[in-house]
Amino acid sequence: MPAGSQLSRIGFGGRRLRALTAFLCTLALLACCGAGLAGLGSARPVEVSVLMPAPFADATAPLVAAFNREHRDLQIAVTRGPLDTEALSDLAISSLLLGDTPYDLLLMDVTWTPKYAAAGWLEPLEPLLGDHAMEGMAPGAQLGNAFGGHLWRLPLLADMGLIYWRTDLMAAAPRNLQELQATAADLQRRGVVPWGYVWQGRQYEGLSCVFLEVLRDFGGDWLRPGDSREAELDSPQAVAAAGWLAELVRSGVTPAAVANVSESESLQIFGAGEAAFMRNWPYAWAELQKPGSAVAGRVGVVSLGDGTQGSWGFSMLRGSDHPQQAAAVMRWFTGEPTSRELALRYGYTPVWQSLLDDATLQAQLPLLPVLRQALERTALRPLTPLYAQLSDVVQRQLSALITGADSAQTAMAEAQRQSELILRAAAPAA
Amino acid sequence: MPITLLLLLPALALVGGVFLWPLLRYGWLSLQASSVLTGLVPVPNGGANWQRLLADARFWQDAAQTLRFAGLSLALELLLGLAFALLLHRPLPRRGLVRALVLLPWALPTTVMALGWRWILNDPFGPLNGVLRSAGLPAYGFLSEPATTWVFTVLADVWKTTPFVALLLLAGLQAIPAELEEALRLEGAGPWQRLRRLTLPLLAPYLLLAALFRLAQALGVFDLIQVLTGGGPASSTESLALYAYLNAMRFLDFGYAATVMLGMFALLLALSALVLLVQGLRQRLQQARGLS
Repeated sequence: MPAGSQLSRIGFGGRRLRALTAFLCTLALLACCGAGLAGLGSARPVEVSVLMPAPFADATAPLVAAFNREHRDLQIAVTRGPLDTEALSDLAISSLLLGDTPYDLLLMDVTWTPKYAAAGWLEPLEPLLGDHAMEGMAPGAQLGNAFGGHLWRLPLLADMGLIYWRTDLMAAAPRNLQELQATAADLQRRGVVPWGYVWQGRQYEGLSCVFLEVLRDFGGDWLRPGDSREAELDSPQAVAAAGWLAELVRSGVTPAAVANVSESESLQIFGAGEAAFMRNWPYAWAELQKPGSAVAGRVGVVSLGDGTQGSWGFSMLRGSDHPQQAAAVMRWFTGEPTSRELALRYGYTPVWQSLLDDATLQAQLPLLPVLRQALERTALRPLTPLYAQLSDVVQRQLSALITGADSAQTAMAEAQRQSELILRAAAPAA
Repeated sequence: MPITLLLLLPALALVGGVFLWPLLRYGWLSLQASSVLTGLVPVPNGGANWQRLLADARFWQDAAQTLRFAGLSLALELLLGLAFALLLHRPLPRRGLVRALVLLPWALPTTVMALGWRWILNDPFGPLNGVLRSAGLPAYGFLSEPATTWVFTVLADVWKTTPFVALLLLAGLQAIPAELEEALRLEGAGPWQRLRRLTLPLLAPYLLLAALFRLAQALGVFDLIQVLTGGGPASSTESLALYAYLNAMRFLDFGYAATVMLGMFALLLALSALVLLVQGLRQRLQQARGLS
């Protein structure tokens, strides 16, 4: 034993060596047992990685930092994704196509859920969160999270279309779209304001959102209720709704420039005091109160009928290494305490009825009563993996309608024909 | 012989890996149904994608629109690029600075410059409408008129890529020996004659190169359109690349997206062949004329 003899030469006798070995072994054994008893993560904390658009990542950063300080064994790593909805979708899809995505949770737009679920990219949530995860949410915020008998998504915040109006130009908010149109035309005729009503008319998803609200107001539906394989875009109600939008542009109540107007451009026009009404999402409220806004303090908000639901929520990507912990993070992100903080700090619309009813919150957030009422009923865009195609058809036809000479009848007949083609191709698989 | 082959191998492997393999994979994918309806599992569908492509009015409309875009922007860029190159070739005061300034648009990322143009062309707040208004004219919907919006997408593209053409042509101009020009001048040839008889013929290979480069890029135009108009209004500016992107990344229909890409590739190949053929014919004609 050359090593032993060397050790004994520098002062470790044979017995001492044996005792030391035994001691070290015991220590190692204890360490192993300890790790086993403390669960998986005591040596190295489990890290749950989350991809979300940069503004959400920035807004939640202080809360995430606090969470990470409090939890030694569970850490949240947030990746700041692109600001633009579609760009985030591109990034997520690219990582999913390569297989073995590095993200556990993805903050998703409401329209992605069925598509991602059908692609097999999402983990059903009810085994992890139970069957009552949505209990206590406002009715309008519950839509769009479940599809095909599974829960795929928990909303972080609610979002819906609202009508903004100028309190200095009229005594009260309009009660319906017809009143809005009449008031807008009257104000324009009297030369009080250059434009009556601005909305999102660019050929993109926003146009579908605008259309759905008008469609519901006219009593129509995009797909036949209860049957996601039949379109109803050529119904008299749908034709009337599309015709109403075209009429706004042709009569000059809405500027023709609306054909390339997205949310930011409409906010610009309304914020400069150039329009009497605007359709936009709740975020516009805070923007309109900022210094530099020509209409600060002169803006009212009202929900006329069913606003299009546009919420963001968390989904779990299939193949997550630690689904239990990811579910815990999801629950923490979407739970009432975090929602309350995000509502107070950033004005994020809570999805929980208890927070919408909360008197303290209502005192702090003047918009909350309007949002609460809007969340009683929202309009959900068709819940099908083929939604992107269906929406594309509607965008193309409506864009052609508001910029061209075709009748609403022709445009919607064509939209119906193309939608039927898309839905029929899916029929054998469905 | 085997040694030369061996030495060629790395280059062949690179070309094969970067071009041939993806192309073959696209070819295979275009014969499959692979979309949300199949759970992204490829299922052979017996050429149904190709049948659909041939009957797809939107593909052909986008092809026509892409050609229209590429044709006008190519013509304008060659003309303007030539003018810039001739200008930059002359001895100018502060020539280095002027050359750098001309190249500036080329250095901007396309999305950034497209956002800039979206703002410039904004109705009613854009600076261009400001100019119209100060001239007493009504504001114009540069990006909301289906008949004319494509012209403004060309304008943005020309602004961005003319410097590239100018740079290529400038290199060509500098390769023309100054003595030739001098000789022609001594024989009494005017500037227009010198351009037609000397500069343009010697510049032809560079013009052809610039045209082929720009043709390939313009036919694949995507980011400029996506940011500036999103393909609208009324789909009047949608390009083939945008349609392929929609199919792949929005609709998750990878089988059909591959088919659209290959259709676009075939179109590009045919056009490039046409350009080369016309060029070859012209040369042969000129030679024949020179002999007679």
